[in-house]
This record gives sequence, structure tokens and C-alpha cells, in this order.
Amino acid sequence: MSGICRMRLAEERKQWRKDHPFGFYAKPTKSQDGSMNLMEWEVGIPGKANTPWENGLYKLTMTFPEDYPSKPPKCKFTPPLFHPNVYPSGTVCLSILDEEKSWKPAITIKQILLGIQDLLDDPNVSDPAQSDAYTMFKNDKTAYERRVRQQARENIPK
Amino acid sequence: MSSDYEYSDDDADYYDEEMMDGTQDDLSMDSEDDMDMEFGGDDFKTSPNGKRKMYEVDYESLSQPAVEKLMAEEVEYVCNVCGLDDSAANLLLRHLNWNKERLVEKYMDNPTSLLVAAGISVPEPTAVPSTSRTRSTDNASASRRSSRGASRLLTSIGVSKAKSPVTSPTLSYHTPRSFKPKLNEPFVCPVCFDDSPQIRTLALECEHTFCSECWATYLVAKIRDEGELSVKCMAEGCAMACPDPFIRTLLVPSPRSPPGDPQQEIDHAKAWSHFQELQVRHYVASNKRLKFCPYPGCTNTVSCPSAADKSSLTTVVPTVSCGARGIGDQMTQSQPQQSGLGLAGKEHKFCFGCHIESDHKPVVCGVAKMWLRKCRDDSETANWIKSNTKECSQCQSTIEKNGGCNHMTCKKCKHEFCWVCMGPWSEHGTAWYSCNRYDEKAGVDARDAQSRSRASLERYLHYYNRWANHEQSAKLSLDLYVKTEKKMEDMQITSSLTWIEVQFMKKAVEEAERCRMTLKWTYAMAYYLAKGNEKDLFEDNQRDLEKAVEDLSELLEGPIEPENIPTLRQKVTDKTVYVQKRNEIVLEDTAKGFLEGRWRWNVAVDGFDDPADVVV
Repeated sequence: MSGICRMRLAEERKQWRKDHPFGFYAKPTKSQDGSMNLMEWEVGIPGKANTPWENGLYKLTMTFPEDYPSKPPKCKFTPPLFHPNVYPSGTVCLSILDEEKSWKPAITIKQILLGIQDLLDDPNVSDPAQSDAYTMFKNDKTAYERRVRQQARENIPK
Repeated sequence: MSSDYEYSDDDADYYDEEMMDGTQDDLSMDSEDDMDMEFGGDDFKTSPNGKRKMYEVDYESLSQPAVEKLMAEEVEYVCNVCGLDDSAANLLLRHLNWNKERLVEKYMDNPTSLLVAAGISVPEPTAVPSTSRTRSTDNASASRRSSRGASRLLTSIGVSKAKSPVTSPTLSYHTPRSFKPKLNEPFVCPVCFDDSPQIRTLALECEHTFCSECWATYLVAKIRDEGELSVKCMAEGCAMACPDPFIRTLLVPSPRSPPGDPQQEIDHAKAWSHFQELQVRHYVASNKRLKFCPYPGCTNTVSCPSAADKSSLTTVVPTVSCGARGIGDQMTQSQPQQSGLGLAGKEHKFCFGCHIESDHKPVVCGVAKMWLRKCRDDSETANWIKSNTKECSQCQSTIEKNGGCNHMTCKKCKHEFCWVCMGPWSEHGTAWYSCNRYDEKAGVDARDAQSRSRASLERYLHYYNRWANHEQSAKLSLDLYVKTEKKMEDMQITSSLTWIEVQFMKKAVEEAERCRMTLKWTYAMAYYLAKGNEKDLFEDNQRDLEKAVEDLSELLEGPIEPENIPTLRQKVTDKTVYVQKRNEIVLEDTAKGFLEGRWRWNVAVDGFDDPADVVV
């Protein structure tokens, strides 16, 4: 199984280097001895222009299980993000990342990241993952937007 | 009929018979032994032959192949009615939880949308949502989208094309389409990115092609880890379901194929058999007339049409047995060689109507469940409260005295009283550390109030203790059985009795255990029965049975003198028959009472008239 897993991740990396959406980055982490760790990636997702999320680049860790791509990777914002569908731990709640919902082995890293970018400005209120962002989003849209803009400013890449 | 089917059929018959004549036949069914057994069993027959007892239900035990046969019949029915092939009919039935009436109705109404929804045919290209993002719990909207897509599909294509899914799946299901790589552009599996020219590629009708290794790994993961009944295509957003023959070709190596990695082959074979078991379980769970045997490791199913309806559970206690015995590795499908007791010989007896994994006759499911819940919640606490606390004579708060003198001050209402006589402290004057005022009026009143509030607890404990006692005794019957076996050996040595003639001891032990189970549940029933003549009669029957069982137990426990053996044998045999009769009477009468609606409860029970509405 790990045969497929590593082969697939190596190929994903190759594809990504060849072509990836503007503003995103995704790269495997380095182990302590300096070798490349394909099982854990550091990625950055930019907020879309003309939304309160614009200018921010949100950092995320993707952890791939041994049985990837039968099982989806775990995506976690570091630090945790203020967003209705992000758990307090930073883990993203998205159906394409749930093996019992819409995860399919053919979904690529690029598709995942674009999916998460979409989610930023279009939260799913029927499936809240943290109470702070959810209640504010429900009750006070202006305050929510202010908070999101503030977060975007904090995440402007240097 | 397959041989398996016949086998389980016989099985069920055997058990029915056993219950009818009340003998516990425990030899192998060799014809040679049959004669002896008739002889041995004769002593114990209460009714020579007969129809089903009033307290029994008709049921049939089915093995997994027998259930698979039933499934195949339903699939065939759908094939014939809708003109589909096996695997499509299978997926449709699965999709609609084996409700074939609804399936046919829906299919006649709109075949295309049903086939698309079940993942059997490909929706029109535009109808597939191609957005890369589907959010969590977007499920509802996704299905809405697909049904919308499907109906659009129908209006645009019309009837002429609606036929195509019916015929075309036949082609691609049985021989999964193999894609030849185009000459100029070698095939690359989108999942593992393998591009070697010799890989085997497969696709469902949606033409999303992947290599066979990725398919197999994906199928194993879906089946093993998620217990998926209908595995979808690996492409994103594609709702095509893998039909069984497709899964089979991937997981079951064809005899011609070269041997692969042995570990992998084991995994695949396991996944395939697990997949088949999942289908059977799903079918059984969808069918009200069927129930899976709840014993660990057992794969049998019981069919009991008379208890399929919830409303029937107020009149019958559907105790069934799947035909197998023992647990785990010790499980046998055949008749027990030695005993009906002990773990190895334990019959897989359970209630078809509820989740109680034993025989709770004579009391109906609703009452049995209520009683078990009450026991779980109350018994230990109630016992402790009873032995360690008293209630404040003013506010009825429960108080534990954990030290100090008898001058109590209630924390809640500040009432001061004497722990010994329960009267108010003010009347005690200066006799502080002793109480000699037992008969004073205030003290008597206080004790009365307390005893009233304790009465209900006492009442519960009365029933609970007897219930628990019979349960305990039934558990101890294993010990008794071991002792009895020893006695039986002794008897064979010390007297001229043969092995078959000392079987009376064993039969007596088994009968005693059976009766204790009945007695146990009569206490649960009596606790909830409303006061009146009916309850008095019930308790009379209960008393007679209890007395008889205790007498029998005493006989069995007693010492054996060689010279008394013939008398003992006579006594035990007589007593066993008597006990058996008493047990029959309790079970018959209670079952009759349920059928006649004779029993009245002192609390509201599901399915019965509320006692508050009944004028007694």
C-alpha cells in the first residue's frame, strides 16, 4: 500500500511543480535529518480577491495516511483559523476530506486546496465546527467580516 | 432447494419437536441410538405428541447460504419484472433497502432517474455536478442536485433514450471494459500514476479508468474499514456504483491468473467474503421477518413472520433459537454431544422481538425491558439506601447517619429528631443519649410515614431479590450439573443401572434450570401486574411452580445411598414430570392471558391500555 502512497505523492509533487494555481504553494516538509518527508506537506492557501479573505495567505499542514489515496489526507490550519467550518484544533471540516462522504482516490491535492479556498468565503452553516466563528457568522455579519479582515491582515505573507 | 436450505429446515423441525415433547435429546442422531432414546425419553413425556404450544412461535432458522438464496429469489423477481440483469437488480434492491414493491413502483414511474440514483447508469454529462467543491453535509443538496439533474435528463432525452440504461449495463458489468492505451499517449492511472504498459486497466460504465491494483486497494479499504454496501467509482463526484461481478473479478483471482502476493490474496479473499456477509446483514436488517442471531461469531438468521409486527409483541413472546450452539471456536451447527449446559453447549436462544439475548417467557417484551431497565437503574442503590439510611420524618429527605449521637438535625429542613425512635427531639427532654420513648405518639406517626415511603422500595426489593435469586440459581446450575454428572457415574458403579437409565438426573437438572428461567421472569411480571384476581391466580401458579422446583432441586442436591437409588430415581422422575407440568401451566396460562388481553398492569406499558384509563 505504501508503494502506491509514495508513488502517488511523488507524482503529485511533480505535477504541482509543473503547474499550480496562482498564489498557492505546497511542498513536502523536511525531516530532521534533512530528507524530504512526503507524508506531510506544508501548504499555503490565498484568500480570494474581492472577499474579506483577500491578501491573506493561510498556512495549512496536510498529513497523508499510509493508505492514501484510499483514505483522504488530514488538513489542518496552523495556527487554527477563525472560520465556522474549522475545528478549534485547526482541522478542516469538508465533505471531500471525509472518507465516508465525498472523498475519492482520484481527488488531487490541487483540487483539495481549491476546495478549501472556496470554503473560506462560503462557509457551510449546517455543519459548524467551532462555536466562535459560527455564532458570530450567524448573529453579526459585520463583526464577523471585521474579524475575518483582521485575520487576513495578520496573515499577509512577508 | 439447496442442501443447506434443507439442512437448516430439518434443524428447525428438530427444535420444534424438542420443545413439544419437552425432552432434551442429547445424543447424536444415530439411528442406532434412536431406539434407546425413545425409551429414555418416554418417562418424561407429558404430552405424547401435539401441535405447537400456545406459548411458542413458529420460526425457521436459516444459514447464510439459505439467506443468500432468498436474496437471489428477490433479485430474480426484480429481473423478471423490470427486465434488468442480476447485478443491476442487486444494486437497485440495495439502494431501496430491499423494498421490492417500492422498487417496482419507482422503476415503472421513472426508470432513468432510479438507475442514475442507484449508480447503475451514467447521468447525462451536463447533469453531473462538475464543481470541485462539495462541502461537508452538502449531502442533502448533492442528492437534490442529482435528482434534479436526472429529471432534467428525462425531459430532454425523452422516452426513446430511457431504454438504453436497461440494456447497456449488461455489456459492461460482466466484462469490465478494458481500455487499450492510445498509441501516442500511454495510459497513466490517475490514482497511482503508474504508466507501465502492462498494467491492467478497468472502468465502470462511466469510463473513469484506473489500474486494477488501485481499484482492488480501494475496494478492500471501503469494504473492510467502512463496511460500504455500494462502492462508488474512484473519480471525484462520480456516483457510479461497482456491481458485484466487477468487485468479484478484482478480489477473487481467476483460476488462470498467475499466483500473486499471498498476503494480498488473503486480504482480498477476506474482503470479498466480508462484502457478501455485509449484503446478507443488510438484507436481514431490511426485512422485518428476519433477525440475525446476536451471538458472537454466529452467522445464522431466524425467520419469524408471526413476530414481525411490533403490535404482535403484546400477545406473544417470540423466543427463537438459531440452531447453532456454543460461542466462538466452540460453536457447532450440529446437535450437542454432551450437554445443553455450559458455554460450549449453550443454545443460541434469543428474543425475536427485543434485544434480550435469552428466553424471557412468560413476560412480554415491553414489560421485560421495563423491568431490566429498572433493575439496572435501581437495584444496587435501592439496596444500599434500604440498609443505610432513614428518611427525615418532616421533609422525607434520605439521611445517612455516619457518626455522632442520636440527636439528628436534618440538613434540609432543620427538623430535629431522634434517630432511634424517629420522633421529634423536643420531646426527648434531657435523655439525650438514649431513647426509651418508643411508644410515644409522635414517634409512631413518624415511623408510619417512613414505612409508607419505604413500602414501595420494599415491594420492589421483594420482587427483585427473587428475580435475582432465580437468575443466580440458574447460573449455579452448571455447578449442579457437574455434581450431577459425578453422581450419575457413581450410580452406574454402585448400582446395576445402565448409562441410559441414569440420564434422569441430567434431565432433571435441565428441567430445573428451564423452570428457574420461567420463575425469574414471572417475578418481573408480577411486579407490574395490577392487583386483582388475575394476579392472585398468576401468583398461585407461580407459587406451585416455585415449590415444585425447590423440591426437585433439594432431591438433586441430596446424598445418594446405593440402596435408595431405585426410589430416588422414581422420585426424581416423578418430580421432573410434575415440575414440567407446572411450568407448562404457567407458560400456557400466561400466554393465553396475553391473547385474551386478560392481564392488567399497574403502570403504562407500550401497546397496552393505560391503567389510568381502565376502571378496575
